[in-house]
Amino acid sequence: MANLKDIRDRIKSVKSIQKVTKAMKMVAAAKMRRAQERMEQARPYSSSLSEVIEHLLPDIEIGRLPLLDLRKIQRKAYVVVCADRGLAGAFNSNLLKIAQREIDEFGKDKVDIFCIGKKARDYFAYRNYNIIESHIDFWAEMEFENAMMIGRSAIDHFTSGVVDEIHVVYNYFVNVAQQEVKSEILLPLNYESNKSGSKDRLYEPSKEELVNTLIPRHLNVQMWKYLLESYASEQAARMLSMENATSNAQDMIKDLTLQFNKARQASITTEMLEIVSGAEALD
Amino acid sequence: MQLFNLDIVTPIKEVKLGEINYLRCPGIDGSFGIMNKHREGIIALTIGEIKITKDGKSEYYATGGGFAEILDNSVKLIVESVEKSSDIDSVRAQKSLDRANQRKIEKDSEINNIRVETSLLRALNRLRVSKR
Repeated sequence: MANLKDIRDRIKSVKSIQKVTKAMKMVAAAKMRRAQERMEQARPYSSSLSEVIEHLLPDIEIGRLPLLDLRKIQRKAYVVVCADRGLAGAFNSNLLKIAQREIDEFGKDKVDIFCIGKKARDYFAYRNYNIIESHIDFWAEMEFENAMMIGRSAIDHFTSGVVDEIHVVYNYFVNVAQQEVKSEILLPLNYESNKSGSKDRLYEPSKEELVNTLIPRHLNVQMWKYLLESYASEQAARMLSMENATSNAQDMIKDLTLQFNKARQASITTEMLEIVSGAEALD
Repeated sequence: MQLFNLDIVTPIKEVKLGEINYLRCPGIDGSFGIMNKHREGIIALTIGEIKITKDGKSEYYATGGGFAEILDNSVKLIVESVEKSSDIDSVRAQKSLDRANQRKIEKDSEINNIRVETSLLRALNRLRVSKR
């Protein structure tokens, strides 16, 4: 049996780890709430934009819009949205596993990757995948600008004809206890133009020009939504795993305390036996 | 005067202004006014000032551009940013204007020229609106 001092030190270290995990859980909870609020706030803007686009599209020749151009798919790009940090349960590993499987299915050499978050970059760089761009270290002060930057470079990559399809893999925030890895097609945009709109409406400038400025804005907002979803999911995952860690630490402390008391009792018993048998020997 | 409904939507907030009398927006081809029963349509907006008249009082907002969607008796402004004139910190606006000017003079090759120009325009606009 381990001696008393060892057990006491163990308890002390477990207790201090528990303090850290508790604090991390609290921080994650606060950050998650903020991300959730931002998600709520972004919703009206993005739905308004898509509404306007849907109003406009029936009146336009879709073939003339480069961002709606359905080409034969020879090369794809993947935007992998991950976190900068670990200690969030299976958050990163689940997503990376799924992303890698999809990329491998299409062919590793025919896919360009945009890495969002350090974990994604490290993972794919280590395995020699074709990384075009990586965006890291922005989560803490995430602004709409970040989404615009990522959106712009993805759009350029598509319109210049390097890739024929852009996928986004990210963690969708179902609720606090559940996040779901989703893979969606960002470009080319898929719009059903079954509405027969064409009311007598005023367009300034022309419809084509309007749509050409609307769609990049729409994609930027889409990107912003992906980032927010992922951030909220990350914090939720971290919150949950830190809660588990805290309760595991509690169990460990309990076990160790029991062990400590047993060891103490045993040492007292042996001491007493020694004294008693010593006294008996004197008689 | 007849009233119509106005909503302003941005990526980070939604402003519901309710029933208003008159709205003036900075269109790409110049400022234009909207009153009740305006023809339906979609108009692109640029950086500038939005004027809203409600109950005989006028309010001014600075915007970073976007779209105005005019529907039957309601208008929705889908813009990148919106700030009420009284909420703009004119000291901060002045500072960002100075910064933008400085950047223009320096002509840092790494920063895109168009971006410098737009940030300058935006700063000028905010400062102008804050003095309303």
